[in-house]
Amino acid sequence: MRLRIIKAYFLKEMIELIRTKMIMMPYLMPLLIVILFGYGIKMQVTGVRTLILDNDNSQISRKMILKFEHSKYFTTTVKNMSEKDALREIKKANIDAIIIIPSSFEKNSLKGIKTEIGVFIDASFPSRSTTISNYIQGVVMDLANDFNINSSGMININTRNLFNQALRDEEMIVPGLIGMVLLISPAILTALIIAKEKEEGTIFNFYSSPVSKGEFLVAKLSAIFFLVSIAIFVIFLVASYLFDLPFRGSFFLFWLASEFYVFTALGFGLLVSIIASSQIVAIIVTLMLTIIPAFMYSGMIMPISSMSGDAFITAHIYPVMYYNHIIYDTFLIGQGFNSPTNISYLLLLFGYGIVLFLLGLLFLKKEIK
Amino acid sequence: MKIFITILLKELISFFRSFGLVILVIYFFTAEVYVAANGMEIEAKNVAVGVVDKSAGGMSKKILSNLHSPEFQTPKFYKSQKELSDAIYNKNIMVGMIFDEQFEKDYYKKLNPTINILIDSTTASQSLMAIGYIQNILMKFNNLELPVALKMHKLFNQNADTGLFMGVSELLSVITLLTTILTAIAFVKEKESGTWDIMLLMPVNPKIIILAKSLSQIIIIMIGVVLSVGLILFQSLDVPINGNLLHFFILTFFYVATTAGIGLFIAAVSKNIMQISQLSIVIMMPIIFLSGAWTPIYAMHPLLQYLSALSPLSYYIEGCESIFFRGTSFVDLLPYFGGVLILGVILYWYGFRKIGKLF
Repeated sequence: MRLRIIKAYFLKEMIELIRTKMIMMPYLMPLLIVILFGYGIKMQVTGVRTLILDNDNSQISRKMILKFEHSKYFTTTVKNMSEKDALREIKKANIDAIIIIPSSFEKNSLKGIKTEIGVFIDASFPSRSTTISNYIQGVVMDLANDFNINSSGMININTRNLFNQALRDEEMIVPGLIGMVLLISPAILTALIIAKEKEEGTIFNFYSSPVSKGEFLVAKLSAIFFLVSIAIFVIFLVASYLFDLPFRGSFFLFWLASEFYVFTALGFGLLVSIIASSQIVAIIVTLMLTIIPAFMYSGMIMPISSMSGDAFITAHIYPVMYYNHIIYDTFLIGQGFNSPTNISYLLLLFGYGIVLFLLGLLFLKKEIK
Repeated sequence: MKIFITILLKELISFFRSFGLVILVIYFFTAEVYVAANGMEIEAKNVAVGVVDKSAGGMSKKILSNLHSPEFQTPKFYKSQKELSDAIYNKNIMVGMIFDEQFEKDYYKKLNPTINILIDSTTASQSLMAIGYIQNILMKFNNLELPVALKMHKLFNQNADTGLFMGVSELLSVITLLTTILTAIAFVKEKESGTWDIMLLMPVNPKIIILAKSLSQIIIIMIGVVLSVGLILFQSLDVPINGNLLHFFILTFFYVATTAGIGLFIAAVSKNIMQISQLSIVIMMPIIFLSGAWTPIYAMHPLLQYLSALSPLSYYIEGCESIFFRGTSFVDLLPYFGGVLILGVILYWYGFRKIGKLF
């Protein structure tokens, strides 16, 4: 390891990154992804377009309509039309749910005869339809409670939402997105700058010069590592100020974990660049290797504790899960270094990075194949 | 006409010869769609529950026996509340239930017993659904005689199976991305490998070259769509088709032509494949974002709602969902056809002009 040579190579990389405008990559792409997905993914459902067909037109039915109108979850319209026309409206995707109140609703319910309210929900977006049906059940239960039903002996539930009291979508999505972009952007950049030398033939400079493999890799990777390290802070600022995330944990842990994680991502890119001979192949292979685990096996969309079998094992093989655990902890939970899980995951990330780097060093050849 | 067909065939042959691209296209149309359909589960399933039970145990056991698969895992028991909350903090479990000493006595005395529930709400939607399930289970124990019953009908997808929806919507995103990238690559590859000059020297009307080249990519995508719909959607995912499949293919053809227009524009302004990949991400992201694929359009900010009218994908997604799931008749599909066609003509014409200037 000769520092002088590493420094020269590092400077050459930086100048090249600036000249080819690739320096934008570690900043523009992550920010774009975090902002678009952060604002774009909404799991909560509000403003369900509901059509109520009131065939009863009585006091109770009007009370029920009022309940729906006052809820922020529904945008209601009350209309007189036939069921067939209403179904056609749902087929045209103009409304999401139809509620049909039968004609003798008040009479029967006062007499205590069971009446059925018909509910039709557009389930072409399945998870949304489940939520909508839960909402409607809630409103009807609420209405029933108003008509003093004997509630003695009823089991109460006292629910506490830990970590994300308001159940905001941003608090749930954005930390996961950080885990995604800090994997993708360094990995692609690393894969690219080595594949680029291969494609353009400048890799022969490396083959024929007395630079050692280690020096070559350290110089190349540290240039990207330096750029992405700055990006960590930029993304942190976006998350806390633009998306208004709380930060409950230790910043040092966040920073340390992020640096280790970026190191791991560099290792990913390095391995890809050894296989890939052209830039386009490098991009595609990295995307395939990173996007799916970052989305599906990270605990962002689906909690790790709910996974079973293959998915559980796959999740533990990729590094994303460990980083996401730490990052959700630092943003929302706040155990920091007190939790042994956090520390063991931190060490795991570091070990992962070292292993990938050594593998890269092993497989990188300083000669023509 | 003969020239047109020659160029078309040349493009098709050179596509099938580039091994990497063929693999890429096949991968995206099959594996990617399949994985998305099977892997993305937004519904709460297999939720890990932890329990601290300080009551005598009869009633709480009865309640807990109702927590079973597919919604819940078998509950894990913890000795103290401290252990339970540690397990939640370390994300070993998602929902914690605490039955206190009074629980059973209160239940038989009809004194409104209380169950304390702690939820890890870092995954908000799943935790909400899990609470919904628990509430439904407790309803059974409450013996409420409600005079009202709700008769729920989930139209078009009775079991609310997420896989069907995810499969279709992933296919649509794959079509969007691949069409832009393939069309752009068809041109820029010539720039990169230096055969662009040969193209300029050819005694052929540049318009024919552009048309033939973009049509060749459209054909490739259409083949991919047929494969994907036949093999993945119908064979392995069992997606229903309530509408007319022909309508879907016609709509897809128009839409692919539209995105090919965007591809032409990208090809005109980028010099190499690197720039294509960057530009297409920058351009396609907002189009996908505004399309209503993630958030329904009516739930967006009002300003964004107007903007979403400019995203061709928004018409295409609604149209395809209507064809596959809602089984909408052709007359009611016309707005989607109209939207895609109008935007398509504008975008293709613009891309055509833009790349035509390079000749």
